[in-house]
Amino acid sequence: MAEPNAAPKRKRAKFTPAMRHDALLAYVLLVPTIYILFRIFIVPIFQSSVWSLYKYNLMDGSDPKPVGLGNYADIFKLQDFWTSMGNTVYFTVFSVAAELAIGFFAALLLNHAFKGRLLFRGMIMIPWAMLTLVSGLLWNWIYQPGYGALTVVLHNLHLLPDSSNPLWLSSSTKVVTFSAIADIWKMTPFMTLLLLAGLQHIPHSLYEAAVIDGAGFWKKLRHITVPQLLPTAIVAVILRIIGAYRVYDILTVFTGDAKTSTSYLTYNYAFRYFYLGKASAMAWVSTLLILILVIVYMVLLKRNQDSHL
Amino acid sequence: MESTNRGAGIRRWFTRPLDGDLMPPFYLWLGIALLTLFTMGPFVYLLTSSLSLTRDLLSGHLLPHAPTWLNYRHLLAGTVGSDFFHALRNSFTVSALTTVLTIVVGTLGGYALARLKFPLRVTLLFIILAMQLLPSISIIVPLYVMMRDGIDFSIPFTGIGWHTPPLLDTNAALIAANLSFSLPYAAWLLSGYLQSVSRELEEAAYIDGCGRLGTMVRILVPLAMPGIAATAIFTFLNCWDEFIYANAFTQTVASKTLPIVVREFIGKHSIDWGLMTAGGVVASLPPVIISLVLYRYIVSGLSAGGVKE
Repeated sequence: MAEPNAAPKRKRAKFTPAMRHDALLAYVLLVPTIYILFRIFIVPIFQSSVWSLYKYNLMDGSDPKPVGLGNYADIFKLQDFWTSMGNTVYFTVFSVAAELAIGFFAALLLNHAFKGRLLFRGMIMIPWAMLTLVSGLLWNWIYQPGYGALTVVLHNLHLLPDSSNPLWLSSSTKVVTFSAIADIWKMTPFMTLLLLAGLQHIPHSLYEAAVIDGAGFWKKLRHITVPQLLPTAIVAVILRIIGAYRVYDILTVFTGDAKTSTSYLTYNYAFRYFYLGKASAMAWVSTLLILILVIVYMVLLKRNQDSHL
Repeated sequence: MESTNRGAGIRRWFTRPLDGDLMPPFYLWLGIALLTLFTMGPFVYLLTSSLSLTRDLLSGHLLPHAPTWLNYRHLLAGTVGSDFFHALRNSFTVSALTTVLTIVVGTLGGYALARLKFPLRVTLLFIILAMQLLPSISIIVPLYVMMRDGIDFSIPFTGIGWHTPPLLDTNAALIAANLSFSLPYAAWLLSGYLQSVSRELEEAAYIDGCGRLGTMVRILVPLAMPGIAATAIFTFLNCWDEFIYANAFTQTVASKTLPIVVREFIGKHSIDWGLMTAGGVVASLPPVIISLVLYRYIVSGLSAGGVKE
């Protein structure tokens, strides 16, 4: 989406009146956007950086007291914080890797020309469109011991002896694993659709040339599809990492254990214990981590030249 | 002769991809079957569970012996029903109003970012993109305090203006909070769409004596309508799914949205999976129908670069 009429870059000596008029109009049109975002984004994120330097507990009624970097030192000493970080990283890596793998093959399939293709392309949207909370509830139901679908299906396929009736959600690690599976089910369509859009941009002539060279399925995949799809895939993976890192809603269905994700722990520090200072410090750690990914994403967008920056 | 032909045809079905395809038909359809099972299996289980009697569910029957609407009747009657209808109405109000505000404000800002040249344009686009990608947890603590105290709209140093009453537990709080992710998202996406509209028609309108604003309203906006529609759909779906702000800011049926009510099912009716799955189906119906009917817009929105979940 490069600007078609963009003038080649040259030094402008001065602002012409028409340009000044344009700039003025731009600012007028942007006033509502900027005002709203300033009030509900810029001010809050600045406020949260200030509060992260204060001891600010809503429950004991005391006034906020500056503690320097004390909150950060406290949370870095907190075992729960590192456990939640570990779980978040595990959740993110597991779900994004599986979504990439399944999404890639699903996109390959749906890129074929066959009857009813549109029907199947529509079908894969269903999990993605469902409420996140409902997909959490559905999978929680599937994992119920004894009568949930997972146990019943495994019993019927004789993959699980009839006498065995595992508790699928009996530990934090299992909860994170099984909620990641719920996330994979819900978000793979998103990955599939992004990769499908990328696949449609690969020129057919490349494959035809490969066929003449006698390349089979895996060779074509390795030498054409994967390298051609790589830029799209990297962008999709970064977006999914950013999305998976913030996991909160789906976990609350499965467990009351806030150590299962950093967002969950931050949320509980803020709205269960009302340690607003510590919660702000935790939020800022997440903000900085995501900002790094955002910068990587922007660099990639700029390099891919398919954006209007 | 014919039979050998058919034999070769069948063998080819396993080994040779059709022209321009990657996989032989056998593997293609095997893959499609697996994908359908993975996607639709859990969803169909949600539907069949919602049509089952509790006694069937607790004895591990995946399909109802006698399909029944009983769960839906329970869901929509009595206190459960009135809570559910309130939530449905709150979800609809919040999502619809956020979408309207977002699209109006975002189109104005998006036009300026797409079509006008002004200092700091690229910087502003970068900031908007970063806002779109940062998690809610980054700003949720200050937003909570802001909602608790009410939002101040007075002009600095003059005392002129308006201070809203406390907004916790109102739809207004959720609309304001949702704008923090929907507006950056819409401004980013819309500026991309508006930029992709050809300039020629616009220039013809200038020659006919239309001003900047007249051209925008009469020429550009109608031409960018598919993009605006896609943005509106995404905004609506994201608001419908929003959980973390709703969980922090709502307390009673006055403002609880569907995800919150669905989440509460799990504590309150923990054995009644029939009721819970029925609630899940009804809550998911609007977004699923919207995505299937407006599939084309969603795909175009996903591949337009300004992607979020």
